[in-house]
Amino acid sequence: MIPLSWVLVSAALLFGLGLYGALARTNAVRILIAIELMLNAVNLNLVGFSRYLSPHDVTGQVFALFVITVAAAEAAVGLAIILMIVRQRDVSDVDRINLLKW
Amino acid sequence: MTGLQIAFLALSAVMLFAAWKVVTSDIIVHAALWMVLSFVAVAGIFLTLHAEFLFAVQLLVYAGAITALVIFAIMLSDIRELRGEGEPAGAGLGRRVRRLVSRRLGLAPAAVAVGFAAVMYSVYRATPWPGLPPGDPAPSTLAIGRELFGTYVVPFELASIVLLVAMVGAIVLTLREGGREKEEKRP
Repeated sequence: MIPLSWVLVSAALLFGLGLYGALARTNAVRILIAIELMLNAVNLNLVGFSRYLSPHDVTGQVFALFVITVAAAEAAVGLAIILMIVRQRDVSDVDRINLLKW
Repeated sequence: MTGLQIAFLALSAVMLFAAWKVVTSDIIVHAALWMVLSFVAVAGIFLTLHAEFLFAVQLLVYAGAITALVIFAIMLSDIRELRGEGEPAGAGLGRRVRRLVSRRLGLAPAAVAVGFAAVMYSVYRATPWPGLPPGDPAPSTLAIGRELFGTYVVPFELASIVLLVAMVGAIVLTLREGGREKEEKRP
């Protein structure tokens, strides 16, 4: 039997890695990927809590499903925005995307 | 140690290694491919936690759809992450050391990430967790369907609206006014 703490610790490590990636890298696409990693860590926590703390209903899994839905929408819109910026300005480095209007 | 525990530890190790490579690899397409491995490992962990429906959704949405989106975006837009762009010059150990102490790429984000993981770990250590409920749970797919179309029917419909809006928004954002350009170039 898997202890709940194993799930929680590996999710925390995954979230930490995603956080490091989102803060340390400057490429917009890689920041989006790191955010997806963090959302995955959140889903791991939700599924773990659902399995151990309330084994007779699936509320945690339904929440994880909604998180996946929002993550998909976020990826679509985010990548579309990045595509537009790259097409207009030819940069994908977030340190150089510093104007609201050009 | 049971087989389930070994499977969990192996999947967790694969997931964390792939996530590490996502963050550190120099080439962005490699990062996207490592991301796929990480997503598949997370799907396997869902399976060890008896969340079969989420296993399938994770494979379809993350390992399928989001991966395809990311790779299409990279290929379509010629997003380059040049090796060493925004990083200290030089090669080998000296570059690594300079990269480690640079403000943007090195210690500060790592400190934030490690600090976060340490805080979560101490919280988890201090909390008494209940043991695993006995017995295997019933298959969760049926229960998820009942919950989605019963208790959570309004959020479910809202989620479909969010997806529709995101889809329309993405199309509108990336719409190239190509027809007009072609007509202008023709004469």
